[in-house]
Order: sequence, then C-alpha cells, then structure tokens
Amino acid sequence: MQRQGFNRTAVTLHWLLAVSIFFLFISSWWMMGLPLPSRELQFRAFPFQLHKNIGITLVIVVFMLLYVRLRHRPAPPDSTDMTPWMNVTAIAAHVAVYVLILAVCVTGYLSSAHTRWDTVYWWTIEFPRIAAPSEELNEFWGEIHIWVAWALLGIIAVHVSGAIYHAFRNDGIVRRMMRW
Amino acid sequence: MPNPNNTTFMPHWASILGVVAIMLGVFLTAVHGNEVMKQVVITNNMPADGVMPEPDCPEEELEEEGISVAECEYLIQHVRGIALSAPDWFPSAQITLSAIGTVLAFGSIIIGGALVNYTPWASKAALVVFGGLAAIDLLQFAVVVNTGPTLRDVYLGGILLWFILHLMLVAGALAGRHTEAEAQ
Repeated sequence: MQRQGFNRTAVTLHWLLAVSIFFLFISSWWMMGLPLPSRELQFRAFPFQLHKNIGITLVIVVFMLLYVRLRHRPAPPDSTDMTPWMNVTAIAAHVAVYVLILAVCVTGYLSSAHTRWDTVYWWTIEFPRIAAPSEELNEFWGEIHIWVAWALLGIIAVHVSGAIYHAFRNDGIVRRMMRW
Repeated sequence: MPNPNNTTFMPHWASILGVVAIMLGVFLTAVHGNEVMKQVVITNNMPADGVMPEPDCPEEELEEEGISVAECEYLIQHVRGIALSAPDWFPSAQITLSAIGTVLAFGSIIIGGALVNYTPWASKAALVVFGGLAAIDLLQFAVVVNTGPTLRDVYLGGILLWFILHLMLVAGALAGRHTEAEAQ
C-alpha cells in the first residue's frame, strides 16, 4: 500500500529548502546595501561567499528531494473537491518552483564565475575556474539571476497561497508535506 | 497506520494555526539568521580605529550595481552610521536574542507541523514556542529602544509587527486549548 503523505526525508528536505531560499532572499537584499569591496573594506566577502555556498548546496538538495519524491511516490490525495484548473495550477507551480530554483542557482553561479572572486565551497573546496573574468558576462548572468529570482518569489507566493487555501479547507493536502 | 488525510479528528483551528505558524516560522528563521550575520559582519569588518576609508567607486562596478557615485559613497556612510549608533553592548545582545529567535522560529515550523497533524502535545508546545517568540520580540524591542534614533528607525517597526503576529499566534493557541478542553 502506498503511504498517504510524503516520506520524512522529503518533508525535511522541503522545509530545509524553504528556509534556505527565504534566507537567501533576505540576506541578498541586505548584502547588496553593503559598501563595494576595496582593499580596506571587505564587508561583502563573507555574505557573498555564504550566499554562493547555500546556493550551490540548494542544487544538491533539490536533486535529493526530486529523487526521494520520485522514488517514494505517495498515494494520490483522497480529497476530490479540487477543480481541474486547481490541479493543473498546482502541478505547474510545482514544476516551475523546481525549474526556477535550479535556474536561479545556475545563473548565480555563472555570474559569479565571471568575476575576479574565486568560489571556495564552504571555505574548504576550491572550485576550478570555468571562465576568465568578464564584466560583460558577469552583468549578463547577474541580470538573469535577479529576474529569475523575482519569478521564483512570485511562484513561491502562488505555492504558499495554495498551501494556505488547503489549510483553511482542512482537506488533508497540506498534511502530506508535514509528517514529522 | 493512521490516515493523514482523515480529517475527522483534525480541527480547523489546528490546521490553520499550524500552517500560519509554519509560514511565519520559515520567514522568521531567515530574518533572525540574517540578523546574526549582519551583526557579525559589521562588527568584524569595521576598521579598528572606526575611521572609514575614502570610498572606492570604480565606474565598471557602479555600472554593474546600477548605482551612482553618490549612492556608492552613501553605502559606506550608511554602515558607518549604523556602527556609530550602536552602543558597545548592542551587537552581542542582538546576536544572542536573534540566535535564540532563530532556534524558536525553526521550532515554530516543527510545532506548526505538529498542529496540522494534531498531535496530542501540539497545542501546549505551541503556547510555549509562540510565547517564547513574543518574549524575544519584547526583549529586542527593549534593546533597540535603548539605542538611538537611527537603530530605532531601522528596527522598531519590524519588531512591533512580529510581536503583534506572535501575540495573535499565542491567542490562537490559547483559544484552541480552550476548545479542546470544552470538547473533552
């Protein structure tokens, strides 16, 4: 018999992902208001490296979550009062969330790869340079990174609204992702 | 095996309060975590003599950031202003309260899940965690009130909003417990 909700690993990864994404948004708005880096002022060094560390880790977490979700598929929800357009919206929003998270992480990495700053993953693993520093490409990928991030925030709003709707309905849908 | 979709014994108040606690908990964990980082970064990167160097605003960097020279210069003055208006005890007080807040906010996510699943201990634990978060807001309010106008402007509005939200969660958990008691 298929289990009714997502398994514990999927639930843990989902909420870890949620907290990390909100941290990245909030901390990025703050860190962009720090003074530009210079020989004397290095305010941005730690937050930017942490931003990259978490972003790269998120790619791993997303693939782990996808693997767990596809490997251990829960039974479809009992509730049948969802209209077809709600079902389609829910599926589309889920796919979009995954695609946009990966797109934000990849474009962020590509933007960073074209700066003069190296990426030392969690201050231990030095990533090899994949490109020479280029202002133009850094800006290009940086712009895409920002726009995709805004799109991700928008789709997260849809995702969260759906969750709250189901909580008010108390139809058991939300409970599938909250099995401690 | 209990069916998690069976809503027969799952009251609406627990489902709604739980999801709201989770949503706010996710956001607040990030907010408190960022506050810890803010204080650590600003404290550790201020020049030892407190004198900020001349702004370094190369044109290509300004273009990349989409800011003017005046804005670039302001970024340095802004951090300096924050550091100047913070009493010596402020960063450590903020780090301590925000670190506790991060843990409690993360706890709020777990408690929210417990409420949605309506586990027996959920409403009591919710009162403790939401009450703890409201207490952290009050303490942060007291800390910031004792600084100066710059930090009050930066922090007080946000803290007050969180305090109101946490009071609402406490009230929701209390009402839920009363409903439980009446049902027994």
